[in-house]
Amino acid sequence: MTAERIKKCYGSLQLLIQIGLFCLLAWGMDLLSVYLELPIPGSVLGLAILLLLMGLKLVPEKSVKLGAGWLTGELLLFFIPPVISIIKYESLFEQYSLPLILTLVIGSVCVLLGTGFVVDRVFRFETKMNTRRLNAAKAIGEV
Amino acid sequence: MSQSMLAIVSLAFTLSCYFLIKQLYLKKRVWWLAPILMVPVIIVLFVISLNIPLPAYFEYTHWLMALLAPATIAFSVPIYRERKLIFSYPLTIGFGVVTGLLLGLLSSWGLTQIFSLPPELSHSTLVRSVSTPFAMEATSAFGGVPELTAMLVLLTGIIGMLVSEPLFKLAKINSPLAIGAALGAAAHGAGAAKASEFGKEEGVVASLTMIFTGIAMVLGAPFFSIFLV
Repeated sequence: MTAERIKKCYGSLQLLIQIGLFCLLAWGMDLLSVYLELPIPGSVLGLAILLLLMGLKLVPEKSVKLGAGWLTGELLLFFIPPVISIIKYESLFEQYSLPLILTLVIGSVCVLLGTGFVVDRVFRFETKMNTRRLNAAKAIGEV
Repeated sequence: MSQSMLAIVSLAFTLSCYFLIKQLYLKKRVWWLAPILMVPVIIVLFVISLNIPLPAYFEYTHWLMALLAPATIAFSVPIYRERKLIFSYPLTIGFGVVTGLLLGLLSSWGLTQIFSLPPELSHSTLVRSVSTPFAMEATSAFGGVPELTAMLVLLTGIIGMLVSEPLFKLAKINSPLAIGAALGAAAHGAGAAKASEFGKEEGVVASLTMIFTGIAMVLGAPFFSIFLV
């Protein structure tokens, strides 16, 4: 085996182990959430806990980066099965196809325009504030 | 073919179709080859034409869904990586998330009321603009059906991807943060992919907005459902 192949094998193994660890954490957090009767689902609890662990430097980012990249990158694959069960609801979708599509299109336009508009304004305001703060800090430094 | 044979074929076909279309899209970059559109279409045609019973299709493929929860946890990594951006623009990102979430909920609620859609559809539509793992988690609080929710989330993603560019031009929305936040809030993963075509910053902001909107939806669902169901 060439060095390159060994490296590739090692990379795949690393990826598999990291995905396994994410699954284990998801499973454990789910149990915890059910056991403690928390209103937060295990997956979101796990997200918060891993973020905290990385923030406290207890888990280095590079030890979970590979698995996280794969899991978030192939997200579409994981929800193909429920989408396929649309076959079961064929008549429902057929009967309401036009109002449903209109709902989705008009709704999406609302969210796109509304969010874009608000963020555009808030961004300008916040940039102004950030520059002012920066200038103030500089002025203090100069005095 | 026996049921278990069909189940194995279903899993093999689903995996190969997904990875092939993905490769093809990366090479050709035409919108109708986008995996979010093409993969479900091909697999639905496959299941219908081979007359595969749904229980056989789900026998093994349902394990793919088990990866939705680990994927949710994996979203902590992009949040951690982009912490500098979040700390520099907390107001901008926060307003984007809150506006996107409320507009998504209210527009879905209002429109399904106007068109008087049946409850299983209208309830499943409420969470349509957040990323699938969060939507599947939140939909039960609104009395939605997970399978219908998955389909509506997918359609919303495709629509957002297609209408966003002309819409931004028309409305003169051109700052990277506004484009990113709008796409992340309106069209989750598909929107984030579209946003990264505009630029790196747009893509990052879209991903962050998508993740935070999803978390907020899951945490807020029991509360919002009091008013909207």
